[in-house]
Amino acid sequence: MKKIASLLFVILLVCFAAALLSACDVSEKDSLVIYNWADYIFDEDLEDFKDYYKQVTGKDIDITYVTFDTNETMLTRLTKGDSNVDVVCPSEYAIQKLIEMDMLIPMYYFDEQRYTDAFSSNVNLDLYEHNSDNVEEGIIEKVSDTFGQIEITAQGDNQGKKVSMVDYFVPYMYGTLGILYNKYAFDELGIYDEQILNDSNWGILFNDDGNGNLLHEGLTGNILMKDSIRDSYAATVFYLLESGRLDGLTDENGVLYTEMSVGELINAVDDGLLEVVKDALTEQKKQLFGYEVDFGKDDLLMGNAIVDLAWSGDAMYAVEESWSDEYDDYELSYYVPHSTGNIWFDGWVVPKTHNPAHFDAIKLFINYLNIPVSAAQNLLEIGYSSAVKADVLRNDTDAMEVLAEGYEYDIDDPDSMQEFEMYFFENSYLDENGEIVCYDEISDSNWRYPFASAANHNDDFRNIDSLGVMRDFGDKNKAVVTAWNYSRSAGVNALPLLGWTALAVAIAVGIVVLVYIIKRKN
Amino acid sequence: MNKKFKFRLTRRAFAYPYMIFLLLFVVVPLVIILINAFLDDNSKFTFANFAEFFTDAGGGLTVLGNSLIIGLVTTVICLAIGYPCAYFLAKYHASNRVFVLMFILPMWVNFLIRTLSTKAIFMAMDVDLGMGTVLFGMVYNYLPYMILPLHTTLVSIDHSYIEAAEDLGADKLNVFLKTVLPLSVPGIVSGITMTFIPAISTFAISEILSSSKIFLFGDAINMHFSKTTNSFGVGSVMSLVMLVLVIVANVIVNLTSKDEEVSSVL
Repeated sequence: MKKIASLLFVILLVCFAAALLSACDVSEKDSLVIYNWADYIFDEDLEDFKDYYKQVTGKDIDITYVTFDTNETMLTRLTKGDSNVDVVCPSEYAIQKLIEMDMLIPMYYFDEQRYTDAFSSNVNLDLYEHNSDNVEEGIIEKVSDTFGQIEITAQGDNQGKKVSMVDYFVPYMYGTLGILYNKYAFDELGIYDEQILNDSNWGILFNDDGNGNLLHEGLTGNILMKDSIRDSYAATVFYLLESGRLDGLTDENGVLYTEMSVGELINAVDDGLLEVVKDALTEQKKQLFGYEVDFGKDDLLMGNAIVDLAWSGDAMYAVEESWSDEYDDYELSYYVPHSTGNIWFDGWVVPKTHNPAHFDAIKLFINYLNIPVSAAQNLLEIGYSSAVKADVLRNDTDAMEVLAEGYEYDIDDPDSMQEFEMYFFENSYLDENGEIVCYDEISDSNWRYPFASAANHNDDFRNIDSLGVMRDFGDKNKAVVTAWNYSRSAGVNALPLLGWTALAVAIAVGIVVLVYIIKRKN
Repeated sequence: MNKKFKFRLTRRAFAYPYMIFLLLFVVVPLVIILINAFLDDNSKFTFANFAEFFTDAGGGLTVLGNSLIIGLVTTVICLAIGYPCAYFLAKYHASNRVFVLMFILPMWVNFLIRTLSTKAIFMAMDVDLGMGTVLFGMVYNYLPYMILPLHTTLVSIDHSYIEAAEDLGADKLNVFLKTVLPLSVPGIVSGITMTFIPAISTFAISEILSSSKIFLFGDAINMHFSKTTNSFGVGSVMSLVMLVLVIVANVIVNLTSKDEEVSSVL
């Protein structure tokens, strides 16, 4: 009995000490818990933000930085209750889900009064500058168009309430889904031609020239697809549309798929469409080198495959890595096939389970990310496009300095800076005659900044309307997963293998028995 | 106070941490998987997960079949290469540990690194990734697990049995078939389980060495848990199926090898 008592006493003591220590920690400094994608910020220690926080509030801040690698892991962690985080950076469809589950608080970032009113009184706002004007309006518009009013479905006081996503999130990064390819390998196959590639469109990933014929047999076994349900689904739907395989087909309500806008089409997940997508994906397997998530860039850089479905930021990294002395050019290139495409956004949201004591820090942090310099640092580090407007970045000397330095251009030389601005914001350069030329005849001038008006003067400028945002699949989620699993498992047949092995074993045993019998007879 | 509740620092007390560990990290997760298998998206009781798996809607059964075949073939090849290897190691180099070490050496390198290097070699040789490369990777990875138990058994065979057989007039083939082979059965069985069970649940090897084209049971389970938020149910059912296979394999092992000394390591 005494032993138990003393044991309990020791345990209590330890717990008490631990509680005391952690309590001390909180009371002395402000703190903030950030839950973000891995490799998705300039500096995970956030030294610059700490300085900014000190400057505005006069207080030090402690930051806990936690990362996730897919929206699904993040959603699982948040919904299963393990969620002592203050700010999270999910993708648009995950934000939709979180709003439906009533797990977020509205911030009203784009209503300056409401946003700043929510600061607690002990923060002096003299040094605070609201940066919502820096955020690209195009994103807000696109998100409002796609998601409209989201209905909260979770049980509770807010059930049935319709809210706008814009009140809940602050855009951070965005990017497109497109085609990363080796232009020199394409050239060798004789398909590096604007006409051919435009005809083939998303069919490149299916080795289809746009008319149902093989684009080039050299592509077979050299195509990579993303091991990601949503992205592969989007690319397949675009392919089906462009190749005319959706002609005459209608959705459950009798609307022709071909009559839908890009946004409507990728969000029209019904059984009929799913069946066609499943078949196309199954068929595609014969053409593939494989599916990738992490090794796609390497496979392309090493020449194992020559075309890949890729996100713009990943693609940019790969393109910059692909400098070839032999060609005196980048070997890889990226573009979004004309007329259809997918654009996605990641943004900051605040879960309901945040620590109310961290509220000021949350608001300052989100606002801090929209300062041009901070945006420049982040986009340089991450490779996607920052939600801060291109024009704001171009007009901010500090931001341009960060960017130019990152790309090794000379900040003091106006020619060099003009060259950089054209390269970075317009994906083009001036040739000897002073004509604007796109870096690559297939590519868009504005794939990095689809919202930017700056590239308007360029013929290769493409319309942002052709890019659709994908919503959550909702109750079709399961059906999509099943279809994806089905097409992934199809086309592999191990039975012949079993036959051959059985044959080999039989022969081996037969020989042993034969030798044995012969020996016995002798 | 009841006598039973008295805390005594006996030898048994040292087993408690282990029991707690087992409970927390083996029993509880299994129970969670079991519960998940019967829940739908809204945490309501359902058999739909089982229905989905056993009707092969998502290709789950096809994948299981392929995995079993690939596991079986891997095991057969491992045995075919591993037995002669272990036999000659035991026969000619029983006292020389260096040769045995050579076979274990690759196991000291992380298997992901080994597999990635294998892929690099295949790519450099212009070999198309597919079933063949996956099979190669599996055999390469699991061969040591076949050789080691076989080697241990073969080395521990009392040499006097072999001498006795020779004295009684058996030729080399008969000595092998009638003494060495029967005496090494425990090693064979243990080698087979150590190869077959991990081989049917592998996913990294097939993912890397076929660029995810060969989709195995392990890949399918992985997909349900890591790439989606709402198909844990089907994933759990597949995990349960896997668990049943492991148990069945172990029962078979225990039935065939009554020998206590070198029975299954699992």
